[in-house]
Amino acid sequence: MADLNDIINGLDSLPVLPSTSARLISMLGNHDVDMSEVADIVRIDESLSIAVLRYANSAAYGTPGREFNLRESIVRLGSQTLSKIVLQQQVGRVVSRSCKAFDMSREAMWRSAIGGAVAAENLAKRHCPDDRDLCFVGALLRDVGKLVLDLKFGEHYADSVAKYLTPETTFVDAERQAFGTDHAEVGAALCRHWELPERIALAVQFHHEPPVPGVGHDVLIDVVHAADLISLWSGLGLGQDGLRYELAPHVKTSLSMSRRTVEKEIAAMWSAVRSIEDTLGLSKGTDERSAA
Amino acid sequence: MTSTTQQTSSISPKSHVVGVADLAVLKGPNAEIITHALGSCIGVTIYDPTTKVGGLLHFMLPDSKINDEKAANNPAMFADTGIPILFKMAYELGAKKENLIVCAAGGAEVLSDGGHFKIGSRNRTVLRKIFWKNNVLLSADDTGGNNSRTLHLSLADGTVTVRNRGNGAVLWPI
Repeated sequence: MADLNDIINGLDSLPVLPSTSARLISMLGNHDVDMSEVADIVRIDESLSIAVLRYANSAAYGTPGREFNLRESIVRLGSQTLSKIVLQQQVGRVVSRSCKAFDMSREAMWRSAIGGAVAAENLAKRHCPDDRDLCFVGALLRDVGKLVLDLKFGEHYADSVAKYLTPETTFVDAERQAFGTDHAEVGAALCRHWELPERIALAVQFHHEPPVPGVGHDVLIDVVHAADLISLWSGLGLGQDGLRYELAPHVKTSLSMSRRTVEKEIAAMWSAVRSIEDTLGLSKGTDERSAA
Repeated sequence: MTSTTQQTSSISPKSHVVGVADLAVLKGPNAEIITHALGSCIGVTIYDPTTKVGGLLHFMLPDSKINDEKAANNPAMFADTGIPILFKMAYELGAKKENLIVCAAGGAEVLSDGGHFKIGSRNRTVLRKIFWKNNVLLSADDTGGNNSRTLHLSLADGTVTVRNRGNGAVLWPI
């Protein structure tokens, strides 16, 4: 069985989160975002500047016949949207790696992260508006542990886990039987290694098994859990683990999930991912091919 | 992002990848259509061996009534709007309904959602209902379960293959 610390500390190259993202996530955790600091992050990063310009001049934010420069774009978008763009870009780069351990291409990893983040933000607007940004980040990072396991075990990971799968076994249960840990727990360890707020680490750790109301319960975790399922239902981020996960019954109630609302969330999330791809000039969702 | 194309001669098959909520109809023989990441979504292939016209739809949800605007902008997202367009596009390229070989894969479920949502199961039910109402016979299908699938249609001979957890199998011919 693999030890969690061995996995995290024994690797030569862990996924690296830019210090600017870590700082921004901490600011979001304290609900204290400094607009000038976010603007500075954007100004010194060329690809971020390009993304901000694209957003500010897109159909959603722009004004027909008017081209906004970077300074105007930063002011126009405001700190919340700007923070989201920074995280989407910087964390998106971290998770945008092919993952043979789960048979997912880098495009599939990126789309799953972004799709989950969009779904979490939508759910948070209704259920925990003050934690909207943390829900976005938690969902964005929820599967980062898959990348660590890929670095450690490569393509043999899912095959080893498959030996423990029965028709009733969730993938995380089988991971624990095979390796003594699972991708959610490993992802949380990485978040702690990055010194992110503990609520983010917990959302990553329990995104497949959110604690029931009582001690340890946090609606942030419920939202990230539901967003993960919405992402799976829509076909984003499907790898060797398939749909071998369960919806926590208390989350259906706490987030008032009905068949109609879930289907609307799935459709809205897919359209939002398409829109982000359009804005950033990325190819649309045709490349879900496997990492192998 | 729907597409209709007439392929002419080429030595190696030209692969067309269909994304989620997307469809493509091509005229072969030197072409193949593939879609990945079929979870709860369903992939439908149609193929006319006489004209070598084939198509693939990857729909996400059963019923477009949840959002008329999205159905208008992206009919391939839903079974009830995507399936008619798939067939219509194939007819426009010369396919005949009586010749069509129709296959489906996907419609998987999460292990447990308390029996409330059953997205994959509802996708399967609506698909069968639409086919039944329109006298279309499903030649072969590989649906249900909990795994992600990849679906592939060769326009050279209509072979349909499904890859499920790394294992490929021919779905049609049976």
